[in-house]
Amino acid sequence: MRCIIAAAPIAAVLLSLPAAAQQAGNPAAMAPGTAQTSPGTPAPHEMNQQDRLFIELATAGGLAEVDFGTLVGKKAGSNAVKGFAARMVEDHAKANQKLEALAKAGQVPQPKDLDAEHKDLRGQLDKASGADFERLYILGQIRDHQKTAQLLEWEIGSGQDPALKDFAMETLPTVLDHLRAAQGIASQLTGQASLATAAPVSGAATPKP
Amino acid sequence: MSGFLKRLPMAAGVAMLFSVGATADPLPPDATYRPLPTLPFSTVKAADEAQKAQVLQRQQTLLTERYDTADHPIPNVMMSGGRKPVQAGVRVKLPAGVTWDSLAALSPDQIRERDLLPAGFMPLPHVKQPTGGQVFPNQQIEQMRTLESRNLQRFDVDFDLQDRFTPEFPPPIFLTTHPELGDVSRGQVLSIRNFYETMNGIITPVQMEGLRLLLTPFPQEEFNQTEDRKSAEPSMGVACLDCHANFHTNAAFHLTPDVRPQSARFRLDTTSLRGLFNQQIHGSKRSLRSVEDFTEFEQRTAYFNGDHVSATRKGVNLPDRPNQVAMMAQMQNIIDFPPAPKLDPMGRLDPSKATEQELAGERVFMGKGRCAECHTPQTAFMDNNMHDLKLERFYKIGKTVNDLVMLPDGPIKTFTLRGIKDSPPYLHDGRLMTLADTVEFFNLVLGVKLTQEEKDALVAYMLTL
Repeated sequence: MRCIIAAAPIAAVLLSLPAAAQQAGNPAAMAPGTAQTSPGTPAPHEMNQQDRLFIELATAGGLAEVDFGTLVGKKAGSNAVKGFAARMVEDHAKANQKLEALAKAGQVPQPKDLDAEHKDLRGQLDKASGADFERLYILGQIRDHQKTAQLLEWEIGSGQDPALKDFAMETLPTVLDHLRAAQGIASQLTGQASLATAAPVSGAATPKP
Repeated sequence: MSGFLKRLPMAAGVAMLFSVGATADPLPPDATYRPLPTLPFSTVKAADEAQKAQVLQRQQTLLTERYDTADHPIPNVMMSGGRKPVQAGVRVKLPAGVTWDSLAALSPDQIRERDLLPAGFMPLPHVKQPTGGQVFPNQQIEQMRTLESRNLQRFDVDFDLQDRFTPEFPPPIFLTTHPELGDVSRGQVLSIRNFYETMNGIITPVQMEGLRLLLTPFPQEEFNQTEDRKSAEPSMGVACLDCHANFHTNAAFHLTPDVRPQSARFRLDTTSLRGLFNQQIHGSKRSLRSVEDFTEFEQRTAYFNGDHVSATRKGVNLPDRPNQVAMMAQMQNIIDFPPAPKLDPMGRLDPSKATEQELAGERVFMGKGRCAECHTPQTAFMDNNMHDLKLERFYKIGKTVNDLVMLPDGPIKTFTLRGIKDSPPYLHDGRLMTLADTVEFFNLVLGVKLTQEEKDALVAYMLTL
């Protein structure tokens, strides 16, 4: 798994992030002793506890996405699920790389293995097969992307490091796209009306064949 | 039987999944709850003040990009008090290369894929989204400073919209109990210092007590005595009518108390309390079923962002339901709409009084424009329902603008259109500056393809309501 999050050219990844839009958080939430370039503006890569927790939780989520996606590539039958899983591996590997660079810059250690929740699900996925396997994967994907969207929104509102917040802002639309795609597939698998309440799945969100 | 057996494995799979859900870690607590401050007040204040110019500049840049903010009043059309002109024309700017007609000819999918929805139709961010909270217009701040020596100025942000796009101030007050008197405000803004002399002999004892409570400052998230405040001095708090000035609105704004996390909370423009007696649901999201519920619950929602934990720490006021709440509600329930002399008793234009253009506007309103499907004339131009306009059909969700994440608004309460020329800016978050903007917005959202003549007629009609 670690090999997928290859040690990328970190500097290049950092440079590719959009320039931090002048973000001013609520300084009441800043930790005492935070290095600042001007009053209320934290020094670059000066992270608050929300940033650090975000890195931990987002890393765990990203690892699971790539791990499960790779498994689905081997086990799934339907093209829709396979295509979706391939997209998860591709998109989340990219995001994981960016997050790794940001974590290094902020000197925040990242988890290296699946967390307990995803280990448990991985165990169930290993045991399941056929249509049950696909349903278990897709329903898990819906829940994980729902949580990730809320986690990203939380970082956008409560985080401190502009580069990390930019990462969250850049990632959120993709995660919401993934969510809609997963909801679309779930509705195909279960024969129910689409569970997606947002806009219809756009061209970009259609799983690749 | 065999069908039942076939379904078993799936049911087992789903059950396993749910069992995982039950043991999963929740998101961090401050995704829902307001965190305690971590720095001393003086440090926070210094940092906020240092950032202020940049924060305000960023918001002005956004407003200039979205709107034409020039002063173009409609000739000879004033708000109901006769002191402030109503602004004319469409103020939302179009993206390069399209006209309103060419845009309306595209499907929602085409507009979304080509990123052509005018930015001014998108949710309007708070001046400082991560902090949020109530922001009062300067006139209200000045009046309360003069009348009550009470400071409603924040040290971290200022009000962002230009005066020409806010309601007349102070707004006139019309009472259902005394239509013959007309505006009873005497040209003043009601405050704890002047309400008694203004209203004695006009309202009843219980209404007077309700009014007193509605004008009494109580602790609020940004205005209180703790270190977690945005007023320079420890504050007595804010009164209900600090936003709902004279029972109308002064366009003070806030973030919705009904959504989390912080970056997803949309802006709320203060709604008018005129005609509350006919309104069956309250709160743009909460659909509270009585004025009494609304009055009681606002002490922890409007005042404390829907966070009863923070409210308890800062000193929440819990009005007594059978006495205080009832009286506050009775006062609010006698606030009338401004007069609309061209409307008949059922809310339809009187052809002997209306112009040809206004009558044409009413026909569009009732027919092709589909406005009256929700804004029903007979029920004070409301339908007492919430509706989802599904604006997200027209844009890709999830983009962050000035720290506000652009997400679907979901169902929002139908607001009345009676006296609507008095209530800019428009929509629940105040994203539209003029009535002409609202016509272009709904022309697109409802896909009704109005002609310019029909759009102009609709605006002329809405000015009569």
